Amino acid sequence: MREAEIAVEGVSFGYEKGRKILKELSFQASGTENIGLIGENGVGKSTLLKLLVGLYPEFTGTIRIGGMPVEKKNLAKIRSQIGYVFQDSDSQLFCASVDEDVAFAPRNYGLPEAEVERRVERALAMTGTLHLRDRKNYSLSGGEKKLVAIAGILSMSPDILLMDEPSAALDPKNRRRLIGILHELPQLKIIASHDMDLILDTCSRTLLMADGRIVRDGATEEILRDGELLEAHGLELPLRLQGQIEIMSGKMRTDIL
Amino acid sequence: MNRAEGAAREISRLDMLARRDQRVNRIHPLVKFLLTVGYIAAVVSFPKYDVFGLLGMMVYPIATFLLGELSVRDAFRRLRVVLPLVCVAGLFNPLLDQNRVRLGDVWISAGVLSMLTLMGKGVFSLLASYLLIATTTAEALCGALSMLRLPEAVITQFLLTFRYITVLLEEVGRMTQAYALRAPRQKGVHRKVWGPFAGQLLLRSMDRANEVYESMLLRGFSGKRFYQRQRTPLCGRDLAYGAFWLALFALFRFFPVLLLVGGIFL
Ligand SMILES: Nc1ncnc2c1ncn2[C@@H]1O[C@H](COP(=O)(O)OP(=O)(O)O)[C@@H](O)[C@H]1O
Ligand SMILES: [Mg+2]
Repeated sequence: MREAEIAVEGVSFGYEKGRKILKELSFQASGTENIGLIGENGVGKSTLLKLLVGLYPEFTGTIRIGGMPVEKKNLAKIRSQIGYVFQDSDSQLFCASVDEDVAFAPRNYGLPEAEVERRVERALAMTGTLHLRDRKNYSLSGGEKKLVAIAGILSMSPDILLMDEPSAALDPKNRRRLIGILHELPQLKIIASHDMDLILDTCSRTLLMADGRIVRDGATEEILRDGELLEAHGLELPLRLQGQIEIMSGKMRTDIL
Repeated sequence: MNRAEGAAREISRLDMLARRDQRVNRIHPLVKFLLTVGYIAAVVSFPKYDVFGLLGMMVYPIATFLLGELSVRDAFRRLRVVLPLVCVAGLFNPLLDQNRVRLGDVWISAGVLSMLTLMGKGVFSLLASYLLIATTTAEALCGALSMLRLPEAVITQFLLTFRYITVLLEEVGRMTQAYALRAPRQKGVHRKVWGPFAGQLLLRSMDRANEVYESMLLRGFSGKRFYQRQRTPLCGRDLAYGAFWLALFALFRFFPVLLLVGGIFL
């Protein structure tokens, strides 16, 4: 795999004039780590991810993917290296059958049919959805749709994966499966989510977004244990840690008594 | 499942139908497209009292249903919404056209004849279009259109429209469901909220369509490459199939074949 690298420098962007969503935002990422992107609803997590793949070209500042600036002339190349998993799987699964949807990208890249076949099989196997291969997309459950959507991205063999709220709409079993998949995949990943437990389980590093910037960038363990910091930005401790802290405070009380 | 969702599923099913590996599905899409256009042109151009001549044109849909092993019942079930509209067109002819025409030994109301002809034209054209869609995928059809040197933008638009219809219908499904849950005793959506409902629908389906398009772009979609992959050369068998039917259409259009055949046996 090529060296995956994302470099964002002083990026500002707004959908409408006079209302900036991102303000001089910067961060860097490389290698094969899982990076959590957290922040209040509407802070601009999805917007940031979409900027990385060049869906909104009217930003200021620079974004480089694998050293290439995100500009019109590089988009085809950049998009073949980055996989974007949409929050809403229905936006992604527009072909009639699972099989076809997973083959959509490799076919568009003009690969020979035998290679397309091989990639589809591998992508489905990686997400544990080989048995869904001949199913029609509309007949899948929410969780199955999400896994198939991920397979549809993996078939591109991207170096970087961007995932927008991947655990939304998943039941506990499929959520565990997703966590397993996130651990296994070797790509550099950015996972935007307000599922703090998912981030805690899968990401070594976390970016906290607020007011159009990255206000904290560090080890997930540290940021997600900082209840005050999270609360100040409209977020909550992961449930698992909430439990620990309650137990701790319970213990303290018994100690006092 | 409500109606819109049902429709979305129907479209997916049609898509699957078009993907089957039947003899008719394998005929070159360009030939099928041109045949359909030729067929509709022939059907529509029949004189307004020539019901019997028109009946002969049934050969084509019947043969295609048989060759494609398609269910006639499914076809009529799928077309049940539009069929009545097509038929309504001629309904007033018996009142408007009080003339009588002689047919052999009997006098028949010209209005009834022209009504039947008009209905026949509508139903046959509809069936031919249905058969094209049920035996040809949207992508293959786009490939065929591109062989006719139609502008790329038009073809891509056609392809996307086909994809978006399902998206739109699914959105209708979700919204009517959400509405029904909060207005359990109502049947359908109350007239008063049609306006805002349609507005919402438009916005939401535009959002959704936009995301679908984005997700296609991100996976290397370029209209051209997508449907050109579907371009295959015409072979002798395709041409023979096309020529055979065109000749038959011409025959049935210009000679009263049914009457002649009937005359032999009577
Ligand atoms: N297509 C759009 N047009 C206008 N405003 C938008 C659009 N998409 C998102 N926004 C606005 O941009 C802000 C950031 O949205 P988003 O990136 O989706 O946030 P997040 O993913 O963090 O919840 C929100 O205030 C949202 O309303
Ligand atoms: Mg979002």
